[in-house]
Amino acid sequence: MRKQSRTFTLLLALLAAFALLAAACGSDGGDDGAASDDGDGTSATEPAGDDGDDGGGGDALRIAVVAPSASNDLAFTQSMVDAVNAIGETRDIQFDVTDGTFVVEDAAAALRGYAEDGFDLVVAHGSQYGGPLQEIAPDFPDVSFAWGTAADTFGLPNVYAYTVRADEGGFVMGTIAAQLSESGVIGVVGPVEVGDAKLYVDGFAAGATNQDPAVTVNVNYIESFSDVALAAEAATAHVGNGADVLTGSAQMVVGATGVATESGVAWFGTQANQTALGPDVVVASQVYHWEVVLADIIAGIDSGTLGGEVFIATLANGGLVIEYNDGFGLDDAVRTAADATAAGIADGSISTGIE
Amino acid sequence: MSEFFTVSVLVATLAGGIRLATPFLLAALGETLGQRSGVLNLGVEGVMLIGAFAAYYTALETGSTVAGIAVAIGIGAVMGLIYAFLTVVMHAEQGISGIGIFLFGLGFTDLLFQKQVGTPLPIPGVGKAPIPILSDIPHLGEIFFDHNPLVYLAFLLVPIMWFVVNKTTFGLNVRAIGQTPEAADTLGVSVNLTRTFTIVIANCFAGLAGAALALEVGIFQQNLTAGQGFIAIALVYFGAWRMPWVMSGALLFGVVSSTVLQWKTLGIVSGPSSSLLAMAPAILTILVLVLVSRRVSAPAALTRPFDRAG
Amino acid sequence: MTDTDRAVPMLQMEGITKRFPGVLANDSVDLTVLPGQVHTLLGENGAGKSTLMKVLYGLYRPDEGTIRLDGEPVSITSPSDAINRGIGMIHQHFMLVPTLTVAENVALGLGGRAGLSDMRPVRQRLAEVSERYGLHVNPDAYIWQLAVGERQRAEILKALYRDARLLVLDEPTAVLTPPEVEELFVTLRQMTADDKGLVFISHKLHEVMELSDEITVLRDGRVSGQTRPSESTRESLAELMVGRPVELTRNVAATERGEQRLAITGLNVIGDRGNTAVKNFDLAVHSGEIVGLAGVSGNGQRELADAIFGLRPIRSGQIAIDGEPVTAPTPRSVRQRGVAYVPEERMVEGAIGDFTVAENLLLVDYHQPPYTRRGLLNRSAISSWCNRLVENYRVKTPDIETPTKNLSGGNIQKVVIAREFTCDAEVLVVAQPTRGVDIGAAEYIHERLLEQREAGAAILLISEDLDEVIQLSDRVVVVLEGQIMGEVDRADATPRSIGLLMSGVRDGEASASAD
Repeated sequence: MRKQSRTFTLLLALLAAFALLAAACGSDGGDDGAASDDGDGTSATEPAGDDGDDGGGGDALRIAVVAPSASNDLAFTQSMVDAVNAIGETRDIQFDVTDGTFVVEDAAAALRGYAEDGFDLVVAHGSQYGGPLQEIAPDFPDVSFAWGTAADTFGLPNVYAYTVRADEGGFVMGTIAAQLSESGVIGVVGPVEVGDAKLYVDGFAAGATNQDPAVTVNVNYIESFSDVALAAEAATAHVGNGADVLTGSAQMVVGATGVATESGVAWFGTQANQTALGPDVVVASQVYHWEVVLADIIAGIDSGTLGGEVFIATLANGGLVIEYNDGFGLDDAVRTAADATAAGIADGSISTGIE
Repeated sequence: MSEFFTVSVLVATLAGGIRLATPFLLAALGETLGQRSGVLNLGVEGVMLIGAFAAYYTALETGSTVAGIAVAIGIGAVMGLIYAFLTVVMHAEQGISGIGIFLFGLGFTDLLFQKQVGTPLPIPGVGKAPIPILSDIPHLGEIFFDHNPLVYLAFLLVPIMWFVVNKTTFGLNVRAIGQTPEAADTLGVSVNLTRTFTIVIANCFAGLAGAALALEVGIFQQNLTAGQGFIAIALVYFGAWRMPWVMSGALLFGVVSSTVLQWKTLGIVSGPSSSLLAMAPAILTILVLVLVSRRVSAPAALTRPFDRAG
Repeated sequence: MTDTDRAVPMLQMEGITKRFPGVLANDSVDLTVLPGQVHTLLGENGAGKSTLMKVLYGLYRPDEGTIRLDGEPVSITSPSDAINRGIGMIHQHFMLVPTLTVAENVALGLGGRAGLSDMRPVRQRLAEVSERYGLHVNPDAYIWQLAVGERQRAEILKALYRDARLLVLDEPTAVLTPPEVEELFVTLRQMTADDKGLVFISHKLHEVMELSDEITVLRDGRVSGQTRPSESTRESLAELMVGRPVELTRNVAATERGEQRLAITGLNVIGDRGNTAVKNFDLAVHSGEIVGLAGVSGNGQRELADAIFGLRPIRSGQIAIDGEPVTAPTPRSVRQRGVAYVPEERMVEGAIGDFTVAENLLLVDYHQPPYTRRGLLNRSAISSWCNRLVENYRVKTPDIETPTKNLSGGNIQKVVIAREFTCDAEVLVVAQPTRGVDIGAAEYIHERLLEQREAGAAILLISEDLDEVIQLSDRVVVVLEGQIMGEVDRADATPRSIGLLMSGVRDGEASASAD
């Protein structure tokens, strides 16, 4: 027994040594300034704010984000990290991220930790974090929490909810997709049929069939946010069944974009600008600009309201922006029509038909 | 349903199943060898991730997928030596050490990826290499002979590994020390050296499996393997420590996954039933494991460190 | 030693000393083996026999002393080194891989052409060796499929296949039946005829007397005597082993047998393989008598004991205690009727290795006062009781909190016997009480058994050790294939009369008088 525990201690020591080594290696190339996170969720207390050089004192607004995937996933988590950095360009903030907390218990620990550290705003960036947040928020009445994507504040005075009308951009891109498709078959790779992924997929399908009722939209929810190989295989299956335009939502679509590139079929991105994943095939990306809802939330905090409201990113308020890949060479007429559709949705003259 | 039973869809399903099976088949073949020698490595997932990142990053920097594969195998060997040191030399508890390796691989690759690469950048990956003549066979050619070279390699390794285990003196030593290490020891077979070998080989396979995954999808991302290493370990039990059965399990798992994907793509299933169906491979595995565990027993010395009794 | 003048000894171990922390396992031990000779190494458990042999086999390095093979001083560094020097070891706990075939076990560690393990040449050579020494075993059978005797043959073949000239046999007869022992001795004599040297480790004295050319007795790590059968008796050997005179033949006073306690009528019990292991079995055991159940292992003894104790369902027939039939017996209900059980597999059924001595001593009674009061264990009552048992039954243990698995086999058995003999049982079922137990402990256990008999217990003694059965039993019942072959009274019980019944030869007259 004594021997066991001694070797176990040794094991831990070795792993700790590796972790240090890893950190040392990592810091060599990590000074590009773009990544505002510190990578490993376990060392999350290290401040990494762009403008927080004054050591976090004074009037700097302290914002923390807890998110399920990597901060540079070109999808859900990155959209929020980019948004907080955008806020940082206009005012003094201190910013910290714990990413990769796909285990909800880990996220709960991080949320509580930030609240105890006295952050002004703690963002629980994942609908799956609602449960723990509902338990944690009442313990910290002076801390403002934001939770998304969700439309429920649990009736708590210090919880904001935020969500996105992902169907709006999806609808616009669906109309483009229908015009691009020659086979009349469009493939969608989704994660799990919930939240903004479902909104996006439904909006995209509605836009496509609205543009051309003859178009078939095949939707494949692979029931995973992380299985890249399965996403790739799903995309392959779509292409095999005649799809010549693909789209998909969530971070595992990096597998599908590879298939799109290889097969030379058009790709529409969502959540973040995915042009880098397929410079030749990405037509456009619906980009979440959470800074719009963050600005509303921060305004509330400044005025002493710590929660109780739901904010929604839309095309109208600039929380959603469709960013085109100039390298794709989309027909000008198609793009003009798409811009008109977007404007129509923004002013309410066009409805996506999605609730 | 009828649209599923068209030749082209069935062919695509089977080809997809083979493609999906490749990474966890490779990892499972290595793990089978390791377990036959009495060493359980729950860290397969972590080593796969390290191999995947190594292959991805090398290919990204050098443009050479071959170099990527070589580096992944090499890093796998290093991880194997580390694991052998912990379990064979230090007698660390294998379950805990393996989980340690897994967590290390998960965190380490994420960290390196974020610091060294940043955002996911696609790499060319390994392209398909249709086998001349054979790939021209109608349907069968598309199912079996129109894949990337790592797929062929994985399935070629099945008979090779079977041969190594059953027909070589090294394999005889492995089978003996996984069952009764004391007996092998008294006949002058070095238990710890043999186990170190099998662990290194198993980890090379895991590294290669990671490379196969990263180079198939042409990208790296945090937790890219998404549990495939653990599927590989389950397959070892599923296959009752026999290479051909491990392969059958991998194929079954791959084809069921692929079938579910096709059904959803074709709209045969949708909504809640499709969510249930997505669990089919896992449920199938559990069912088979329950059945198998009644019939076959694991190598008797599995997880038991060897020490010449004093 | 006049023999050493005659030929160059194969093996000379001189002044071997091996220390372990706190223990002097071998203290200047000498051992010389000539070609064609059987040299017996005799000693109690822990006397240093295994250490000496591990030194010889390269598993331990001696702290002092020299080893010479054929007159040349050597340093044996590993088992493979020993094998290469022509030393073969037949381990008491067979070093065989159950999931491999006999041929594969033999070929293990030998290498092969181009790294391939081709079994054809192995099989061929194995057939030659088998033939020469009469060691017949199917080379393609898996070890797990073999009976114990066949496994031993495979173990011996492993050494002979490697051209071992000097073979160490560590208690080879411990697991064998009398006929198997005779077969083994034929093989061993064939080996000595081939000028092989044998080191034979045993503590069955009649075997030692029968087989040995030379005898070296070890006690507490030292050589306590060097002799040969012609110059010694079983008693003198036992005294050298134990260090005091030992009573080997025991005159048991006849007692008046009392009331019938255990009655078995028409019992049928199904074995593990679905066979009828016990067939139409009738047996009665009375107060104050020991009934010996003799027979070759695997003839239903185990199933019978299990059935009596409620560990195995009864197919038909009846077991009655004090005239009352036992219906649907369970171990606890049988115990409540006053039956105690010393099982054959003491480490599997008799004691729990990871439990302390005290916990094993209380396994049966822990839930009763005074050891448990209001659901709580009473520490002081437990320790005073257990310390008394340990003292009374001479269990050698550092203290009662020592894990039982750290004790020697004899001491574990004493723990089991102490527990079972002190629970005021009137019926004792005792299976193989002295198997693997050294002479001193065996003597002690026999005394205790007789003491229980004096006290009026009805004892069923199941044993494969003929000497034991004959010495202790008032009546000997011989079982073969689950059926009673015959019954012999104490006066007529001889190894020959019982051995014949065991092998199925029923003398017409004897069987008539038996019933």
